[in-house]
Amino acid sequence: MITSLPTILAAGKVDALVEKFGLAWPKFFAQVIIFWIVFSILKKYAFGPILGMLEQRRQRIADGEAKLEKITKDAAEAAKNSQAILDKAEADAARLVKEADEASKALQERRQQDAVASANSILAKAREAAELEKEQLMSQLKREFGRMVADATSRVTGKVLNTDDQARLNQETAAQVSA
Amino acid sequence: MLSPIQSASFSPVLANVSSKAAELFAKDGVMGFITNSTLVALCVLGIVLWFARKATKNMSLIPHKAQNFFEFIIEFLYGQVVNIIGAKQAKLAFPLLGTLFIYILVSNWFGLLPGVGTIGWGESTGFLSVKAAHDPLLRPPTADLNATAGIALSAFLVWLFLTIKEVGVWGFIVHTFGPKGGLKGVVGLIVALVFIFVGVIEIVSIAIRPLTLSIRLFGNIFAGENVLHIMSDMMNTKGPVMSFLGSVALPLPFYFMELLVGLLQAIVFTLLCSVYIQLSTTHDDHSHEEEGDHH
Repeated sequence: MITSLPTILAAGKVDALVEKFGLAWPKFFAQVIIFWIVFSILKKYAFGPILGMLEQRRQRIADGEAKLEKITKDAAEAAKNSQAILDKAEADAARLVKEADEASKALQERRQQDAVASANSILAKAREAAELEKEQLMSQLKREFGRMVADATSRVTGKVLNTDDQARLNQETAAQVSA
Repeated sequence: MLSPIQSASFSPVLANVSSKAAELFAKDGVMGFITNSTLVALCVLGIVLWFARKATKNMSLIPHKAQNFFEFIIEFLYGQVVNIIGAKQAKLAFPLLGTLFIYILVSNWFGLLPGVGTIGWGESTGFLSVKAAHDPLLRPPTADLNATAGIALSAFLVWLFLTIKEVGVWGFIVHTFGPKGGLKGVVGLIVALVFIFVGVIEIVSIAIRPLTLSIRLFGNIFAGENVLHIMSDMMNTKGPVMSFLGSVALPLPFYFMELLVGLLQAIVFTLLCSVYIQLSTTHDDHSHEEEGDHH
């Protein structure tokens, strides 16, 4: 059977309940004070430091994650940069090789031209020298022939040839030799 | 001739559990407020503070064992509280809710320690032996209605403070009695009357919260104490050996159940307080809309 609140109050059942369960203000306040002491001390000396430590650790983990992300990003950036540097170096190297190749070809051609020119010059000089030597030899030969002809003529004829005769014989001999 | 068990001073002596805590000093004296449950409450206070001190001493980012265990409990509780009442309110309410959980749990489990409720004063049957400990030396605080009412009232006061701080007195009245749904005209008037009636019911419901919280906790723990005592006494008439064995074996499964009940009641009390805070500190949708309009 359910008894309503006014009925309980009217019948003085509250006093009976208070007595049955030993409810009393001093005991009640003693329990409240103990609970509030636990609450106050836990709040100040336990929950505060523990939650602070948890927050500090969470922050540290977040910072670590952020740093890790930054390091990963930096590493990717560095890899990208190094790749770019490598690509540039490769392009520069290729360009330099090409330039060196072209330069060497040009140099080779120039040297070749110089060599040809030098050879031609040497040949021309050699020809000139040969011509000169030939001319000298011819002159010498003519003189020798002239002298020999004059000598042979003087011996054959027993006549001492004068300067004009010698000159005329030399000319005729040279003309004969040249022909 | 007495059997060895009968003659032993440590033979199981179990009392019928009284519904009220026993005074340890003269009832009408200055120390009359100190009861067996007050003594255990002081022990619980000591245990909690000793462990909190141990856990928070020399704290470091790499925690030591006690710190790690305490951090685990607090982190778990804080996560649950945040899930229910949100991060903003959790910062304000967590000290109360965390204390409630830890204090109630330790109090509940303290009652399961050997000697709690069985060592005390009663009709003497020999040296250090009584027929039944009518006035036990120790009684868990949560099996004393003074303690559970005190805890519930404390929680109620903190709830009231947080509610008024968050929504204000007028906000609380509007939240409780204000019509919802935005209906206008005659229908709106009828709905408003209905909501005023609902608000009155809500006020009654709020007013009896400390009562329901305290009686629920007291009832469960007090019932657990009774179950353990009844199971322990069950074989008392079957001779001394059976009585001894029965008092050890029969309550054993119920000790495990009481461990669970103790944990469950701590969770229930804390969760209900969290839900009460969440319900009263949550702003109504239409309030947000109105605020949005004003902004």
